Amino acid sequence: MFTTGSKLLLGSTVAALIGTLLYGILVGGIMGTVGLVSATAALGTFAAINIFTRDANVSVDDIDAFAGAAAGAERPGSSMWPLAIGLATATITLGLVTYTAIFMLGVILLIAGTAEWMLQAWAERASSDANHNREVRGRLAYTAEMPAAAAIGLGIVIYAFSRVMLGVPSKASTIVAFSVVAAVVLAVGAFVGSNRRISAPKLTGLFAVAGVVLVSGGAVAGLNGEREIEEHHTTAYYAQEGKCGTGEISADEHASQTVAGKASQAATVVLSDSGLTYTFPGLDQVRSGSIQLPRSSAVNILFRNETNEHRRLVADMAPEVEGSPAKICSQLVEEGGVQLLTLNYPVPSFDPSVEANGGYALSVPGVDGARLEVVVP
Amino acid sequence: MSHSHEDHERTMSTDVRTTRRLSSVRSSLTTAGLAVTAMIGLSACASNAPQDTWQPAGENAQKIHDLQWPVFTVAGIVGVIVLVFIGVIVFRFRDKGQAIPEQTHGKAWLEYLFIAIPAVILAAIAIPTVGVVLALAETDDTECIINVTGQQWWWEYDYEVEPDGSICGFAPSAGEASPIITSGQVVIPAGTNVLLRGTSRDVIHSYWIPRLNGKRDMVPGRVHYLRLQSDTPGIYAGQCTEFCGLSHANMRMETVVLAPADFQRWLDNELEPYKSPAEGTLAKEGEATYITQCARCHQVNGLVDDKGTDDTSDDTVVVSYPDQFVFSGAAPNLTNLMGRNTFAGASWDLLTPECREDVWEASPEEFGEKYLAGVTEDCLNDIDLREWLRNAPAKKPMYADAELLEPTDGKTRGMPYLALSEDQIDQLIAYLLERK
Ligand code: HEC
Ligand SMILES: [Cu+2]
Repeated sequence: MFTTGSKLLLGSTVAALIGTLLYGILVGGIMGTVGLVSATAALGTFAAINIFTRDANVSVDDIDAFAGAAAGAERPGSSMWPLAIGLATATITLGLVTYTAIFMLGVILLIAGTAEWMLQAWAERASSDANHNREVRGRLAYTAEMPAAAAIGLGIVIYAFSRVMLGVPSKASTIVAFSVVAAVVLAVGAFVGSNRRISAPKLTGLFAVAGVVLVSGGAVAGLNGEREIEEHHTTAYYAQEGKCGTGEISADEHASQTVAGKASQAATVVLSDSGLTYTFPGLDQVRSGSIQLPRSSAVNILFRNETNEHRRLVADMAPEVEGSPAKICSQLVEEGGVQLLTLNYPVPSFDPSVEANGGYALSVPGVDGARLEVVVP
Repeated sequence: MSHSHEDHERTMSTDVRTTRRLSSVRSSLTTAGLAVTAMIGLSACASNAPQDTWQPAGENAQKIHDLQWPVFTVAGIVGVIVLVFIGVIVFRFRDKGQAIPEQTHGKAWLEYLFIAIPAVILAAIAIPTVGVVLALAETDDTECIINVTGQQWWWEYDYEVEPDGSICGFAPSAGEASPIITSGQVVIPAGTNVLLRGTSRDVIHSYWIPRLNGKRDMVPGRVHYLRLQSDTPGIYAGQCTEFCGLSHANMRMETVVLAPADFQRWLDNELEPYKSPAEGTLAKEGEATYITQCARCHQVNGLVDDKGTDDTSDDTVVVSYPDQFVFSGAAPNLTNLMGRNTFAGASWDLLTPECREDVWEASPEEFGEKYLAGVTEDCLNDIDLREWLRNAPAKKPMYADAELLEPTDGKTRGMPYLALSEDQIDQLIAYLLERK
């Protein structure tokens, strides 16, 4: 008599044999054929061992012996894992023609399903006591199942929540996140804490409802798409667009909040009613006209606006030189505010292309004569 | 070896053997310790120690020196007292099998004393220390600004033209001043308060001329100051003191102090317009080779490419663009290479050993004249310079192998191997010899 296991192994051997023949004839390829032949041989061997050790001692006609044999002793319980494996196979197939992610999901499902099925089969034979068997299974399986379930559950909650957050306008989302949700969590916690006698099913029900609300909210929000998120450009972008003028651009918002390091800069350039002057930090001498800055080195210039208009500092760079922008500009800065410009001059100021372009300079749009010539040796 | 002796050896207990081995280890340790101490002691007496903080040669270093004497004296006395105490205690109370003496705890007046004495010593040291720190950060008395930029593995200097058209307070004898760029050796006028404004093009370096001042880190994107001053003409050597990669040990620098009149001559020479070699000379061929092989990285101010013709209408100014080839974005300016006497991070001499000694050991009165002579044909140390041109990365370790340069986008750190022929090297040497 063939037991279920023998049938499975025999069937697999035949399938592998057919696969090997088909591959060998239709596709060819030594390595593939050798691999498949090996697999067929291995499966055949397993089938033979199984039949010999477990099936051979039971005659087909001997009904009693069959019933008493170890292999036939217990009726296996019903199992959902074959179903999961079937689903996994379908998913893998689907994944092969659509997305890698789906394929990977199928593979994970296949591995998990197979492992669970094997574990169940093993546990059911552990002893004749079904309760004990269940406990044995749990002891082994929960170590993996519980963390995995928690991770999946958390993932779903976080993902759904993030969809909701990205779906509502930014102000509303802040309010929802930090006020409403926080208040609800606090209220539920307080309620459960003060109501010792609340029953477990009631609590479970409460959380289930919350979970459903969250997931469906996430689904709806996800389908609706994210709110429009504003694109912010830096001054470098506006410089490229030729918009380093007197007008305000969106990059000018919160201008004076953007400067962190005010010490150890190469120079402080000051715009006052008497024009553009500069000092080297640590030296009191106020200078004007021209400023010498090193070449091929990131130089930080601090710009201080001491007029009562909003102003920005613009640096003329080397448009003809590869990798150098034509202009670099600071944000528009209010009276008394400071800005930092980081400049890197690639070639000396005596380079003909720089000279042809009017030379390196620092200037302030809208203020005539506010100009420093930059000498790069 | 006799039989009985061997027997004796064999019966010797392991204990005795271990003790013997230990005592031999101990005695060799003692010998090694004595040797190291002796070496340290002797090195302190070395007369040829150019990087010696104990031989200050300028006001700033003198301030540090005046501070380190009392501090080291106090620290030394405290150290000796503590060591003697430990020695006496270890010897007198060593384990002779005596009973453990009575234990006492807490003696308030003793504890107050042990807090008070160090506090007084620390306060006494702190007051002058803070004073010196502040004095060395002073910038009000600056008479000359020189920018210094570190990069792997050499230092570049550029001299500001002051608003009044002078450089370091010296007006050029003829014509207008323009910024001067040098590398390796920074030339300063004697008796002048020089302020170095330092930064870096790649990683953190640290500038240190021990006989002139303390150390100052040079950090990319920041500008740090360092005062330099000396009344005594001469060359003062230093070393990058912040580990900065492969050739950190070959990143040296020298401060050259010239008497004011000599500094004026140095300045005028630096500002002299470019002189192309005479037609038909080896150096003229070298100029053409230089333009094709070297000019993309190294600037020679005033160099014009005449394209080998007399027609001046197609002449072009030769501007280097090292930022395309070198990771730091810079290569030494060679306009007056032979005006300095070391190269490649001040690590090799441009002068032969005899000529070098003549300049470096010259008395302060004679030094200026000798330094300003520059590198003459007879004095050129062409062995090291040729080796450099033949294969720079073989002479100074640099990440200059094209195959290993992926992380830097193909840019070298340092000067690459250029596969020059010996003929080209001859031409280049002749050309470079005129750069002063
Ligand atoms: C790819 C860029 C590059 C090219 C091309 C190049 N060099 Fe260099 N060279 C450097 C760099 C970088 C250094 C600094 C190396 C150091 O000291 O660590 C240097 C250093 C030197 C120095 C020492 C200068 C000093 O003041 O210390 C000399 C001399 C020199 N090069 C000559 C030449 C000559 C001659 C050629 C042409 C045959 C040439 N180099 C081509 C990058 C280059
Ligand atoms: Cu360094």
